[in-house]
Amino acid sequence: MRNEWIRLSDSRKRTSFLLAGIIAVLSIYAVRLIQLQVFQGSALSAQATHERQRTIELPAIRGSIVDANNQPLAVTVDAVNVTADQTLITNPQAEAQQLAGVLGADPAALATRLTGRRRFIYVAKALTPQTWSQIATLNLPGIVKESTTKRVYPNGDLAANVVGFVGSDGKGLGGLEYGLQPLLAGTNGTQTFQRGPGGGAIPTAPNTKVAAIPGSTVKLTINSDIQYAAQQAIAAEVATTKATSGTVVVMDPTTGKVLALATAPTFDPNNVGASSAGDRGNRALSDVYEPGSTAKTMTAAAVINQGLANPYTPITIPGTLKRGNKVFHDDVAHGTWHLTLTGMMAKSSNLGAILTSERIGPRIFDSYLQKFGMGQPTGLNFPGESTGKLPSLNSWSSTTFPTLAFGQGMNVNTVQAASVYATIANNGTRITPTLVDQIVAPDGTITHPNTVTSTQVVTPKTAKTVRLMLETVVSNRGTAPLAQIPGYRVAGKTGTAQYADPKCGCYRGVVASFIGMAPADAPRLVVAVTLVKPRNGHFGGQVAAPVFKQVMISALQTLHIPPTGTTAPQLPTTFGAGG
Amino acid sequence: MSNWQLTDLMQRPSAPQREQGSTYWRDLDWVLLIAAACVTLYGALLVWSGSLANYTSGGDTTSFVKKHLITVLASIPMGYVASRLNHRWLRAYTPYLYAICLAFMLAPFIPHLGARIAGARAWVSLPGGFTLQPSEFMTIALILAMSAVLSEKRDIESEPNNRDVRLALLLAVIPLLIDLAQNDTGTSLIMATVVVAVIAVSGAKRSWVVGLLALGIGGGLLAARLHLLKTHQIARLTSFVNPGSDTTGSAYNALQARIAIGGGQVTGYGLFHGPQTQGHFVPVNVSDFVFTVSGEEMGFLGSILLLILLAVIVWRALLIAFRADDLYGRLVATGITAWFAFQIFENIGMTMGIMPITGIPLPLVSAGGTSMMATWIGIGLLMNIRLHAVRSAP
Repeated sequence: MRNEWIRLSDSRKRTSFLLAGIIAVLSIYAVRLIQLQVFQGSALSAQATHERQRTIELPAIRGSIVDANNQPLAVTVDAVNVTADQTLITNPQAEAQQLAGVLGADPAALATRLTGRRRFIYVAKALTPQTWSQIATLNLPGIVKESTTKRVYPNGDLAANVVGFVGSDGKGLGGLEYGLQPLLAGTNGTQTFQRGPGGGAIPTAPNTKVAAIPGSTVKLTINSDIQYAAQQAIAAEVATTKATSGTVVVMDPTTGKVLALATAPTFDPNNVGASSAGDRGNRALSDVYEPGSTAKTMTAAAVINQGLANPYTPITIPGTLKRGNKVFHDDVAHGTWHLTLTGMMAKSSNLGAILTSERIGPRIFDSYLQKFGMGQPTGLNFPGESTGKLPSLNSWSSTTFPTLAFGQGMNVNTVQAASVYATIANNGTRITPTLVDQIVAPDGTITHPNTVTSTQVVTPKTAKTVRLMLETVVSNRGTAPLAQIPGYRVAGKTGTAQYADPKCGCYRGVVASFIGMAPADAPRLVVAVTLVKPRNGHFGGQVAAPVFKQVMISALQTLHIPPTGTTAPQLPTTFGAGG
Repeated sequence: MSNWQLTDLMQRPSAPQREQGSTYWRDLDWVLLIAAACVTLYGALLVWSGSLANYTSGGDTTSFVKKHLITVLASIPMGYVASRLNHRWLRAYTPYLYAICLAFMLAPFIPHLGARIAGARAWVSLPGGFTLQPSEFMTIALILAMSAVLSEKRDIESEPNNRDVRLALLLAVIPLLIDLAQNDTGTSLIMATVVVAVIAVSGAKRSWVVGLLALGIGGGLLAARLHLLKTHQIARLTSFVNPGSDTTGSAYNALQARIAIGGGQVTGYGLFHGPQTQGHFVPVNVSDFVFTVSGEEMGFLGSILLLILLAVIVWRALLIAFRADDLYGRLVATGITAWFAFQIFENIGMTMGIMPITGIPLPLVSAGGTSMMATWIGIGLLMNIRLHAVRSAP
């Protein structure tokens, strides 16, 4: 029987039966294949993609910050992080010893970072490529380079309070680095790639890349040379006078450009941690104070512009003056003074300012203060900027108007104060200050971020008259002979205002200031100096005027501004027999 | 034609033999050969792609596939020789072949010579980075030896008696035990399948076949129950049932294999572009899991084509078995068919998650020198049997 089975082996029936069997098995496999690839295919594919796909950010190179002459103030440079794969290091002690030689670090501390089973650990961060090349020549196993970038401030603290600083993540944390973060940072790109289980990219898998757009270059109006001189001068004066802080603002009145903006104490943005938080901001914009006597220039200009006074207008000033429920005094006790408007400015009489302002009344006076920019933003949009405070007219009490007339009862920052003098210097036209000159996009497109507006505050004639009066202040008859610059005509005003100390909520100490311009008959520069709570010296003419002189001389020289060669007319400061 | 002599093995071309030479080429099973050639070529592409990411040396991404092609070029002449061997000679020398292969099977136990791959100590290291798996050759020797023993009385039309079957089983048990000692579950299963198939077709009593099947199933269950199997063996065998159970071992392989194949969908990612393949998510994707490369990169269309080609090979092998003109030829062809079929269906089945995972390469496709050589020798023997049948046909 079984032999027959063998003999029948060639039958077509048997062959087709076996073929059918094979086809049956094949069909089962085909069905499974269809199930996997057709029905479950997209789900399995999605699962796989989810497992593999990784998106990494391609960091955009941060834009530079440069000064008006394209001198770099903040730049991003290539840097190297040194990392270690501990599993590849057989002799941590020896490697640590060699690394310590290059890094100048403690070998024992390095050895602990090199010992263990971790595949990735940072050994040192943000080294220069030069340092890395030294390390690379050591050929240390397990020591790996990670490319990164580092924000560097090549001039250290130069303009640090303007430029600001970045955090360890490279994002701006202060100053323009913070304020212009989106522009400077650019747009990070992305790279999406497929990653194998070991973490490496799969070379042939789909991979999409969106290139990073570098940040824009920010060109400031700051002139590094003037900035340097200003920083040196104010730092020295703050030290000499034991003031808590000081600021200097240098402006070009014809354009509104801020050429220097110095504060002391300052900080090194390369080593932010070493400074106190208060020194990292910009006091010239963030700190406000009652301007005091420097504000009398506005009072005088307003009254002259209204045609209700001129430099020769006699003002009879009694020893005291009662307004509302308050008796006002001058800084020095005196009998009746017979001063011209010029003399009132030269002697900086508070009572004289009250009497002068009363010629135009509160409403008109208030409108002038507003046009001069009191209580208004400077337009710089600087982070942490304070707009100061001018009480609104309808909230004025009986003492507000007389108080405002001599510059108390409102507060300003140094840039706002400087802007008032820039207006007088620019023939009565106020131009909004600018600090950022240009934003240069990666494609070369230039934009000007600040909208520059000009406002005619007083007539050119008024402005010229006020400048002549301010020249008297700097004369030997005024409060600021220390501001005189040989060969140049200088106009300016001192201020010695009571300092409203936010710590105690009371008046404690003074803010000594001097704001001036040169050449007085055709002003090219305005310099404002403020010292908060000087303890060695007190009056603006005494502590602030010398700084003004030093910075102004430096700025005039830097910008090659020649003297005008004219001489100031002598305006009378007194009238009648009073003297 | 039995005018062949032992000395004809290395025949020199002479006038009367040239005519035979021409019928040799004509009578080959070209359907099988073309299918095998296509599968081999297709396999080489898969191996090339699978080896791109991980099997490169000195930056040469083609070094692995070059080695694979060298193996292919060495294997085909072996198949040619096998197709030319004289049956009588083959039967006469089978005992020696069996003994040599058995001795060779012990080579992996020799220190420094043996190599352990995926838990199985079944390989011999050769110079140049090549390895050999002696058990693959043993499968052929076993088929030949069992066929010889069981067909001894063929010509006098009598079925093998129990003594013959016992002898055949003894021949099978020795290499099977060595396989198990080497942890080579895959080859043990191939041999067991071959043994059952050859005995079933030999005409031996049905009780033998039923008994052997029962023994296989019962033994497997008993081994699992008594914890005789190593943990990795159980894990491999059961992971296809519950692929989420183990995310790093063989269940991980099974899951990744399914993800790769499924991800290919209908048309595939294209050769060299399968992310799971190139990311090397699927382990051993040039050998045991090579079908995942096909699934992911060539998609359903490429993979169904591969399945059909492999099925054609099995079908043609079966035809040769049933058209054999003597029991010896039929048994040899049956053994080879069973061997091929088991390997193909087990390998692809485990890759698709419908069979347990065992370390078995896909014939003609997987990288692995011994498997490639053994498969081509198997094809050569099939040709040999076909030629014998064609020539003795009236």
